[in-house]
Amino acid sequence: MVIRRLAPILAIVALVLAACTNGGNGESQAAGSEGASGDCTVAVSWNNFQQPRWAAKDQPNIKETVEAGGGTYIEADANLDTVQQLTDIESLIGQGADVLILLAQDTAGVGPALEAAANAGVPVIAYDRLIESEEILYITFDNVGVGRAEAEAMFEAVPEGNYVLIKGDPGDPNASTFLPLGWDEAGLQDKIDSGEITIVADQFTDAWDTQTAQNNMEAIIDSANADDIQIDAVLAENDSTALGVVAALQAKGYDPIPVSGQDGDTANLQNVAKGLQYVDVWKDANELGKAAGAAALQLCENPDLASVTIPDGLVNPDVAPTAGLSVADFTTPGPDGEPDSGDENVVNSFILQPQPITAENLDLILDSGWLTKDVLCEGVEADSAPPACQ
Amino acid sequence: MADALTNAPAPAQGAARGPRRLGAALSATEVDLRLFGMLVALVGILIGFHIMSGGKLIQPANMITLAVQASGTAIMATGMVLIIVSRNIDLSVGSIVGVVAMSYALLMTDWLPALGLGLDAPFQWLIALAIGLGIGATIGGFQGFLIAYVGIPAFIVTLGGLLSLRGVVWLMSSGAAVSGLQSEFRKIGGGVLGSIGETATWIVAGVACVAIVALIVYNRRQRQRFGFPVRPMWAEVILGAIGCAVVIGLAAFANSNYLPAGLATQYAAEHGITEPPGGLKVPLGFPWPVLLVIGVTLVMTFLATRRRFGRYVYAYGGNPDAADLAGINTRWTIMKTFVLMGVLCAVAAAIASARLNGATLDVGQSDELYVIAAAVVGGTSFAGGVGTIPGAILGAFVMQSLAYGLSFNGVNSPTQNVVAGIVLIVAVGLDTYNRRRGGGK
Amino acid sequence: MAGASSATEGPTPLVEMRNIQVSFGGVRAVDDVSVEVYPGEVLGLVGGNGAGKSTLIRTLSGAHPADSGEILVDGKPQVIDNPRDAKDLNIECIYQQLALADNVDAPANVFLGREMTTSWGTLDDGAMENETRKVMGRLNPNFTRFKQPVVSLSGGQRQAVAIARAVHFNARIMIMDEPTAALGPAETAQVHHLIQQLKSEGLGIFLISHDIHDVFDLSDRISVMYHGRLVGTVRKADVTPDDVLAMIILGKKPDEATREELADLRA
Repeated sequence: MVIRRLAPILAIVALVLAACTNGGNGESQAAGSEGASGDCTVAVSWNNFQQPRWAAKDQPNIKETVEAGGGTYIEADANLDTVQQLTDIESLIGQGADVLILLAQDTAGVGPALEAAANAGVPVIAYDRLIESEEILYITFDNVGVGRAEAEAMFEAVPEGNYVLIKGDPGDPNASTFLPLGWDEAGLQDKIDSGEITIVADQFTDAWDTQTAQNNMEAIIDSANADDIQIDAVLAENDSTALGVVAALQAKGYDPIPVSGQDGDTANLQNVAKGLQYVDVWKDANELGKAAGAAALQLCENPDLASVTIPDGLVNPDVAPTAGLSVADFTTPGPDGEPDSGDENVVNSFILQPQPITAENLDLILDSGWLTKDVLCEGVEADSAPPACQ
Repeated sequence: MADALTNAPAPAQGAARGPRRLGAALSATEVDLRLFGMLVALVGILIGFHIMSGGKLIQPANMITLAVQASGTAIMATGMVLIIVSRNIDLSVGSIVGVVAMSYALLMTDWLPALGLGLDAPFQWLIALAIGLGIGATIGGFQGFLIAYVGIPAFIVTLGGLLSLRGVVWLMSSGAAVSGLQSEFRKIGGGVLGSIGETATWIVAGVACVAIVALIVYNRRQRQRFGFPVRPMWAEVILGAIGCAVVIGLAAFANSNYLPAGLATQYAAEHGITEPPGGLKVPLGFPWPVLLVIGVTLVMTFLATRRRFGRYVYAYGGNPDAADLAGINTRWTIMKTFVLMGVLCAVAAAIASARLNGATLDVGQSDELYVIAAAVVGGTSFAGGVGTIPGAILGAFVMQSLAYGLSFNGVNSPTQNVVAGIVLIVAVGLDTYNRRRGGGK
Repeated sequence: MAGASSATEGPTPLVEMRNIQVSFGGVRAVDDVSVEVYPGEVLGLVGGNGAGKSTLIRTLSGAHPADSGEILVDGKPQVIDNPRDAKDLNIECIYQQLALADNVDAPANVFLGREMTTSWGTLDDGAMENETRKVMGRLNPNFTRFKQPVVSLSGGQRQAVAIARAVHFNARIMIMDEPTAALGPAETAQVHHLIQQLKSEGLGIFLISHDIHDVFDLSDRISVMYHGRLVGTVRKADVTPDDVLAMIILGKKPDEATREELADLRA
């Protein structure tokens, strides 16, 4: 009987605990820290903390850089929900954010949040994902460059043949615009036009979900088999989809064919070592985090977006922007996604360089400490081991 | 219609003259017309996509792919039927799959090796599997306890489970995907390496055929024991023949799915067979996930219809007070439905992680929606008390055939979702309409 | 075996309920009520809405155990904490709402909670159907729809199923809560006939009804409740329907009510 009365209370407690465990990954303000630069609160609004990369690489580096510079780090996770992100940002501003690092869930839908930040005098750094607004500092990897690197590597391995294109979430400008642009810059459209490459299938993958990619790829393989078409290569936009693609190929008994990816996820780099994935375009997110952290600290002192610089020596020179350590102009595609259509924005930016990783240069991964050799080379057979694993 | 489903006395003259109308014949066989209708719908969908693809969809390899892709949802849907029938819901199934899949992956690659049981240790995967099933049962039991004994509504408890367990997956893996499972375990995921082969498939078919005949004979004897009316002999024979034909047909179909050329050559070399021109055709047979679906279906149908547990679940769903007043331990019954669901999630998780050769953070994400949809499309009603296991299996296959058919024909995933949603509404709408008209089962 | 109309008052009642108390929150639904039933007798239990009749009877059927008080069966004190305890004592109850599971068939309902199983532990549906046919044959020989969910049966047929359940399990004490409320005249007559039959077999029956004429037709003694208390227990032979009505409405025995109150009643 008593338990029955407690039931509603228990329910509420369970709900609250659940919300705390999942959303927000609950880091509220760290205990007060004063440093030489005074109290600089840097707030980060994640869009999907669940994806492996952010928690493993970006977040620790942003946090470390900010705290080393005497700042305070706070964050919130929108869990793929645009409206939730707006709430998150309002609450972060309410908690006293001086600078906002924003990973937009929806580049168009984040408008109200930008207004709120502008009203509160909080400068905004667009982190990794573009926001179509003149009032941001865009710190990212060269996403078009990533696409270009993916395709260039793949064309070296398979210059002609039947390709499958596996793209990411249709709502993500990276998936729909930037990466395909990079592919074309590397020559994809030209090769299609000249008949060197035939596109067997071209599909998006909701939420970049691995299982969805696996199911779609299996259906594509079945369809190709029904037409007696051999698939020669798969241009997958990122690692989570590439993982599903590789699983599908194995299930169907395909001998390993070149597959691309990006992000440098552990499981995928292991696949590169085993010869199951051909190229993984690695964006050393550690460096991106450091750059963003340093930029945020500077913006606390001086909110002028155009005057931010990356401190010398902070970022690996192979990764640092080709344009140098001061901000460079970047022309966005504009809200319509079409370059040169007249609605583009010109923003201040730091565009870092990606590094394509194949079996040949896996040592870069080991050297930077991204992965240890034990982990990278797990399950690799001695007679087919890449150089880095020998 | 309702009357047609009762124990109509065997029409003595009918047996002599043979069936006159299809309706009379069907009612004499006492086949569940609703299930039959769903089967027709499934075939219709497949034929539709077959035509759309220019006649390429319905082939052994593709149908096997479809079956394997549907297996996880189908297995979980059987458990969801019992939960919805007893007026509850379980929103956490996708997250349970996520936790257990990650557990399998971490057990095999990390935790068990740390205890000295590496990937080459025999039966390491069995231990991982057993632990995973235990984890599923425990989570289910915990939720079941909160629902049945503490009295918190199932919606709330399982919603909390959905949220918090997804976070647990993240904590377990520190945000990374884990891969590299034991090769025996990977067979659970089907694929070219996960099928039982030609001989075993024929054996399974043979055993199934014998079992079907034995079941028909047993049921007939049971009825005769009390002098109840029995089906006319011709109906029994035809049912048995159809049953056997279907099973053997499925086996033949599965055995027309062959090893890919490269692997066939390897196989020939390993077994010292010279390859004939055109390559050696090595039949693959039933994949393991399909056998698991069949096994789970049989066990769950048995539990639901032949055991007191199943009777109590349905009675409770029909009238919870009546069940209590009849002296049934309703709380224990409800708790068991959730434990069962947890175990079934663990089985589905095994298939998912075996297919992926690992686990990612989002394994099982949103599964609950498709599992519930499968149960509902298969005839389970949210009012409680109504729903069948075979219906849920068919429902899962209907949903998956849509996704696969669209994918096969190159239709994009947003469109796939739109179609799935529409079909769900249409299927349930038709069912509601029929129920109102028929006024019976 | 006693005749239909006079109860055999042996020294030991079949069932005796002493000083039963049931409270919900601060409200005394049943306040120190004592009643008993002898073998082969029908005790009519009457009272207005909220009088506590159903609550009292549910303490006997195990649906809602009493807060305090004693229940004796054959003179021996027994503890009835749940419906199973009651059934173990051969107390069967036919609830006002019948307590049938609508989505399963008649045999399943008759044997609900007490299913017959085969030697392998599976449900022996054939045997249960067989037994149900036998029982229903006595109650409603024209009934044939044994395989249909009971939701599709008529009110009288559902009633018959509920009675079949009570009758099959060798009840010695039967509780019937408004058994004819939803029935037509023919079916009511059937239920009356059944009750006479059960009486003649020596069962003790609690009959709750708001229909005074039914009560008078069937009962040997009548207990009246009013706002949770027992107004009194009378022998049918000693009172008229009007007397009983007065007890129900005024909550007092006829000889305690004032002339004005009785006059108001008749007005």
